[in-house]
Amino acid sequence: MNRKTILVSAGLLLLAAFPLAVQNPYVLHLLIMTFLWVLLGQAWNLLGGFTGQISYGHAAFFGVGAYTTGILVKSGLSPATAWSGLLLGGLMAALIASVIGWICFRLRGPYFSLSVLALAEVLRLVAVNWKQLTNGAEGILYIPAFRSKAYYYWIILAIAALAFVVIRAVMRSKFGFYFLSIREDQDAAESLGVNTTRYKLYSLLISAFFTGVAGSFYMNYLGFIDPGIVFSISDISIMMILVTMLGGAATLAGPIVGAVLYILVSEFFRVWVKSGHLIFFGILIIFIIIFFPSGIVGTISQSRAGRKLRASAERKAAA
Amino acid sequence: MTTRRLFTLLAIGALCGLLVPAVPALAQVKTFTVGIPLPLTGAEAKFGEMEKQAYEMAVEEINVRGGVNGVKLALDIQDSGGKPETATAIVEKFITINKYPIVVGEYTSQCSYAVAGVCEKYNVPYLVVTGAADKITQQGWKNVFRLNPPASLYNLGVFSFFEQVAKPKTIAILYENTDFGNSTSKAMKDYCDSHGVQVVLSEGYQAGAVDFKPILQKVKSLRPDIIYMVSYLMDASLLMRQSKELDINPQAFIGGGAGHTLPEFLQNAAEASEYCMSATLWTPQVKYPGAKEFFDNFKKKFNKEADYHGAEAYAAAYVLADTLKRAKAATSDELRASLAATDTMTAFGPVKFVSWGQFSNQNKMDTLVLQVVNKKYETVWPAAASSAKFVYPVPRWRERK
Amino acid sequence: MSPQLAGQIELLGQVLISGILLGGLYALIGLGMSLIMGVMKIINLAHGELMMVAMYMTYWAFTLWHVDPYVSLLIVCPLMFLLGVVIQKFLITPVMEAESILPQNQVLLTVGIGLVLANLALLLFTANYRSVPVSYASKTIYWDIKLGGQTISLSISYPFLTAFAIAVLLGTALFLFLGRTDTGRMIRATAQDKRAAALMGINTRKITYITFGIGAALVGAAGALLDPVYYLYPQIGGPFTNKAFVITILGGLGNIPGAVLGGLVLGLAESLGSVYISLGYKDAFGFIIFVLVLIFLPRGLLGKGRAQ
Repeated sequence: MNRKTILVSAGLLLLAAFPLAVQNPYVLHLLIMTFLWVLLGQAWNLLGGFTGQISYGHAAFFGVGAYTTGILVKSGLSPATAWSGLLLGGLMAALIASVIGWICFRLRGPYFSLSVLALAEVLRLVAVNWKQLTNGAEGILYIPAFRSKAYYYWIILAIAALAFVVIRAVMRSKFGFYFLSIREDQDAAESLGVNTTRYKLYSLLISAFFTGVAGSFYMNYLGFIDPGIVFSISDISIMMILVTMLGGAATLAGPIVGAVLYILVSEFFRVWVKSGHLIFFGILIIFIIIFFPSGIVGTISQSRAGRKLRASAERKAAA
Repeated sequence: MTTRRLFTLLAIGALCGLLVPAVPALAQVKTFTVGIPLPLTGAEAKFGEMEKQAYEMAVEEINVRGGVNGVKLALDIQDSGGKPETATAIVEKFITINKYPIVVGEYTSQCSYAVAGVCEKYNVPYLVVTGAADKITQQGWKNVFRLNPPASLYNLGVFSFFEQVAKPKTIAILYENTDFGNSTSKAMKDYCDSHGVQVVLSEGYQAGAVDFKPILQKVKSLRPDIIYMVSYLMDASLLMRQSKELDINPQAFIGGGAGHTLPEFLQNAAEASEYCMSATLWTPQVKYPGAKEFFDNFKKKFNKEADYHGAEAYAAAYVLADTLKRAKAATSDELRASLAATDTMTAFGPVKFVSWGQFSNQNKMDTLVLQVVNKKYETVWPAAASSAKFVYPVPRWRERK
Repeated sequence: MSPQLAGQIELLGQVLISGILLGGLYALIGLGMSLIMGVMKIINLAHGELMMVAMYMTYWAFTLWHVDPYVSLLIVCPLMFLLGVVIQKFLITPVMEAESILPQNQVLLTVGIGLVLANLALLLFTANYRSVPVSYASKTIYWDIKLGGQTISLSISYPFLTAFAIAVLLGTALFLFLGRTDTGRMIRATAQDKRAAALMGINTRKITYITFGIGAALVGAAGALLDPVYYLYPQIGGPFTNKAFVITILGGLGNIPGAVLGGLVLGLAESLGSVYISLGYKDAFGFIIFVLVLIFLPRGLLGKGRAQ
């Protein structure tokens, strides 16, 4: 074990012990939402950041996960089934993803990005109109299983940590190199014998799975979903990109920083600035993108990586 | 390296989270603070704003008169953006950090429903003010009390109008695909099915469309006696304007409340709004004490007209004051007991929480029918409460001046 | 001819008229986004918010100085052009030129801009719904056709027709501008190959300013034309950004004639779909057509050849 692994593990343990010291539900709620968004950011980052396939419609997978659990709850089975939705929701999301990926990944360019967006919108309309299955616009309400937030805190912390570990492992394996090669130069990757369509699909499946799990957790935790919430373009799809990019796309730590910014800072603005709080949040986004074009973590590590490297790259480009 | 930095950041973030709520719940001993989540940003912001102003106006009046038992009321209104997720977080904060013993408000059915779930979980009484979906008070929750009638009863006035005056044979129903739209239109459809009125068309639409003409043309070809519409927002005025353009001439256009009762409806639909009827819960002409004063003072103070949403919020503040006055202590248990025993008169009407059928702790009240006559809202039904005589059937568009 | 058949023909005729007129407006909204997409390769997620700004300009011009919305186009379009240039020059260009892992951070920048614009409007103008109560708002031209002994009466909304006519005019002007003027040709060259254009001595930076400016002016015009038939409030932009999105895709990402066709197809799909299939799924038709186009015509409706 190297120093870094020890540090990460110690940090995780500290976080896990946190609810023992602080039981305040509001603080725990904010942290739970932060971890949820870490999970979402990680999921988007694998596909968007590392593999370079930008999705504008990950709400499709989030919503499918949430509704899988919601429909389980609605069917009146025992509360335990709601938790089985975590796995089932992830798998359903991956299933839907495989269809859209199969159609779109044969093509290049923004087609995938936008067809996922279309998918999310169509699914939202299906959820609104197919009332027998989804309750339509009324949504599904479920009084959550645990009263204490600590359990939810530990569950989402564990899932987010798992996603982190899995994605880190993936990025260090053969898969990871293929993903990066697809992002950097698809032609070169193909000429080296990488089946780009297949690897893009793998990346999407992992990403959609974790997004679906996050959606399912959302239903379990908040206990209320409706089509407008879970299939939202602006509140889910775009925010997943935002969380990743503000923190730093294609960095493992980026989504974590991004989620902290998104949940805690925006809550801070909401509580302290009151009217017009979203203006401040918007300005913050603009500010970060202008001054940290690769996200906070990305830009900092880039500048750390030494001017040498960049200088040599510049020399090359100029030559 | 970056990971370590990240945990530092996370720790700082967590600290921020801790600091944010570190506001003392009761700044002074002699103040009672009420937590109210409202949509002050997002698509429903207009209503959130109106309700916020009405609450503030009521609380100001109550405090000028010396407060409740010498205690001044204070409001802690927070922006939910119309998102159930944010609304529940706010309410959780109200309950666990600010330790407010009672929660009031929210606007949409979705948010009210989610907040009701939270309040039930924490055993804190919650007064629903606007959220109208039936299911909110159909869960048997003992902490949830509702001031406004459920959506399925919004139409009671319209039904009695049908039975005594209109006697329609066919009806077309267009509704916004939201919780409120679904509940209200379903109640209308059920009524029609059981009373021999043929429903020739019943379709939900997405709010915010630019052009309703295609579907309206279809409605026209079906020639219904009544066109019934449930619209939350400005869709109401587009529906009317485009009905006029297409020269659709039923016996009456009837709205299901909300959009058809807004002052903006009159401005935007202009002459196309004339003779349009709507179910409503309240009009400035109702004969409840303080109703007219509320409307006039609100107009004077904020330079705009209040509709029934404003009246609901205004009345809610008075219901709260009344509850507080009778409660033995400002605790959740006492306030719940006191709220359950409420029997008071407000500018919005009489308030008493009763349980019947599937409903529990639900205020029951008469609903009215209004009609636009000479570019003004007039109460036309029931006859006893009316301020003007109804016009039915309405003249054909091309025959109007 | 039976009255039933006449009724069906009337319904179809009315639905087609509505779809085409609405499609014209949609095309205008889509044109701006398509142009920006073509030259900058970015999706402008603040497009609907720009339209909202133009709608407020038109509203205030009408309310304060009684300027007719159609006349105010002459003020609104240049102002929107300037706003577009400013946004491009001071916000987007610096980000485009910075090194980053993914170019999509420019898209996020537009999200930020959209948030600021919408909430600034909320703060300044409150959340109230407003409308421009022009006298001709529901003025209608009736058109009665005698057919086989039955009368089919169609109605055409005057403000929709005017909006359509102006949209056609602006669209034609854009074509002429892109096809016949030096600046237009430079824009097209930049869209085709930015580096090559720069090597030919085109100031591509300036071209991006102009492009974003024109895009903003076009959607601004759409906003002004929409004012008499619609209403406005600060959050109105979102759904229109989505529509512009779909149109741009239908048209084949940056293809200008394609965007016009995309707008018309979307308008027709919505109106036909809402009557003959289901109103609830109305907004899905655009997306469904889009996915079909994607599978069978991956280069957009007017695209030639195959992708890859």
